[in-house]
Amino acid sequence: MKHLKSFNKKAQLLEKAVADGTTEDVVAMQTVVGCTSTNDPGWEVDPFGGLGSLCQPMESDLYGCADACWWPAQVPDTMSTHPGWSQDVAKANEDWRQIDSVFPDED
Amino acid sequence: MKLTQMYKASAITLALGSAALLSGCASTGSGDTAMVAGKEYLLTSTRPNLLHVVDVETNKLLRSCKIPGIFGSNSIVPSPDGRIAYVLTNKWEDVYGFDITNCEKVFSAKQSYQNVQIKTIISLAVSPDGNELYTVQNPVVKHADRFEVQQPRLAVFNTADGLNARAKRFYPVDRRITKIGAMDNGEVILGGADLKAIDPKTGDIRVLKKLQNWQRPADKWVAPDAFAMQAQGEHVGEYILPYFTIKWNGAPGEMEKAEFWWGMNRIDLASGKLESNELVPFEFIFFNLVTDPNNPDIVYGAFNNLSKHSVSQHKTLATEDLEHTYYTINMTRDGSRLYVGGTSSDISIHDPKTLKKTGSIQLPGDMSTADMRIARLRD
Repeated sequence: MKHLKSFNKKAQLLEKAVADGTTEDVVAMQTVVGCTSTNDPGWEVDPFGGLGSLCQPMESDLYGCADACWWPAQVPDTMSTHPGWSQDVAKANEDWRQIDSVFPDED
Repeated sequence: MKLTQMYKASAITLALGSAALLSGCASTGSGDTAMVAGKEYLLTSTRPNLLHVVDVETNKLLRSCKIPGIFGSNSIVPSPDGRIAYVLTNKWEDVYGFDITNCEKVFSAKQSYQNVQIKTIISLAVSPDGNELYTVQNPVVKHADRFEVQQPRLAVFNTADGLNARAKRFYPVDRRITKIGAMDNGEVILGGADLKAIDPKTGDIRVLKKLQNWQRPADKWVAPDAFAMQAQGEHVGEYILPYFTIKWNGAPGEMEKAEFWWGMNRIDLASGKLESNELVPFEFIFFNLVTDPNNPDIVYGAFNNLSKHSVSQHKTLATEDLEHTYYTINMTRDGSRLYVGGTSSDISIHDPKTLKKTGSIQLPGDMSTADMRIARLRD
């Protein structure tokens, strides 16, 4: 912190709190407020360094991982901002072509 | 009035037409939908948000009940009389109870309110007398400029409150709790960093088994990593939780000398007796385990393969490749059939003796993270 200069009121309050030792505990927020706070890149290799213990095929695992925020970067945030994503595509393994991307709203 | 009081006959045959329309029940139209006391029924859930009831004698889908809201996580717990299936849904927030004989919605609880978002991460259990329902709530106040994370808590609902029920009691609990289960003594098992039990009358918590905080020396063992996701064990009355650990026979991190182990925590819900020990060498992954009701020394696991293990011998006895990944596993009370489900839209049925596939149940959608429970209907 000594190399940073607080710029606004919130930063000044944080700087003071750190100096006073009164910062609040950091608590886990993953899943609770959305997938984007999940720090899980997804598996690229299995625990044995191979592929045999990854979920197979990917389509079988898609909803199981998307629904629970295990793939925060690969699919829309189904916990908060896009809860309805893929809800109308019942079978990921058969209907994966119907699973769509999401785009920012054009207001 | 609860519908459980309305159906005391040992055999209940439903009139498909009007009953289905009144209850929101989407019958498969496969013919006989009679449900008989003493028989077992497999319960699971899929997109689009549906609760499925399968006859395990015929392995036929009997009916599919429409669940309000959006799919997720769709944890399921049957009432002790097997008649009501409680489902955690709508992105881990709401709980609905359905009479599985006719899809009648007999219980509902919306947990979030105003600017307080409450997520329940898997945690769903019913008291042994069926009178109380438990969830672990993770509240977050969504202010205009920030999120305020609040203390997780056990919420206690009266199931007799029916629709739009509100929690009657709250007790603070640890963070990171997922799979929970009710013991016959009334305590609720809390599966989190450590295994604990809470008295839902007083909020008193005791440690059943330290996991992340276990007392083994850190230079000899790695703290266990448990995957407490789907629930099962109703066929033998137990709470079961696999874990992974590493034993360092050399210096910590010296992989060449290390032993990689699956372990298992298993709690008898009737006596409260807990077993916790290493199970078999870690040679492949299983997500969940079930105990053979005819031989508690035998457990079965499922993920990319179906596996059979001896607890006492610390040995994998057999494996069978599965057609795709499955997350969860369950078993009939007579031990005659294994059901492997979760992930995709089919349940794979296997012979416990040979592990060979004997059949399949096709569902109209993806089970994703949903539970797969087997209820036994009582009078």
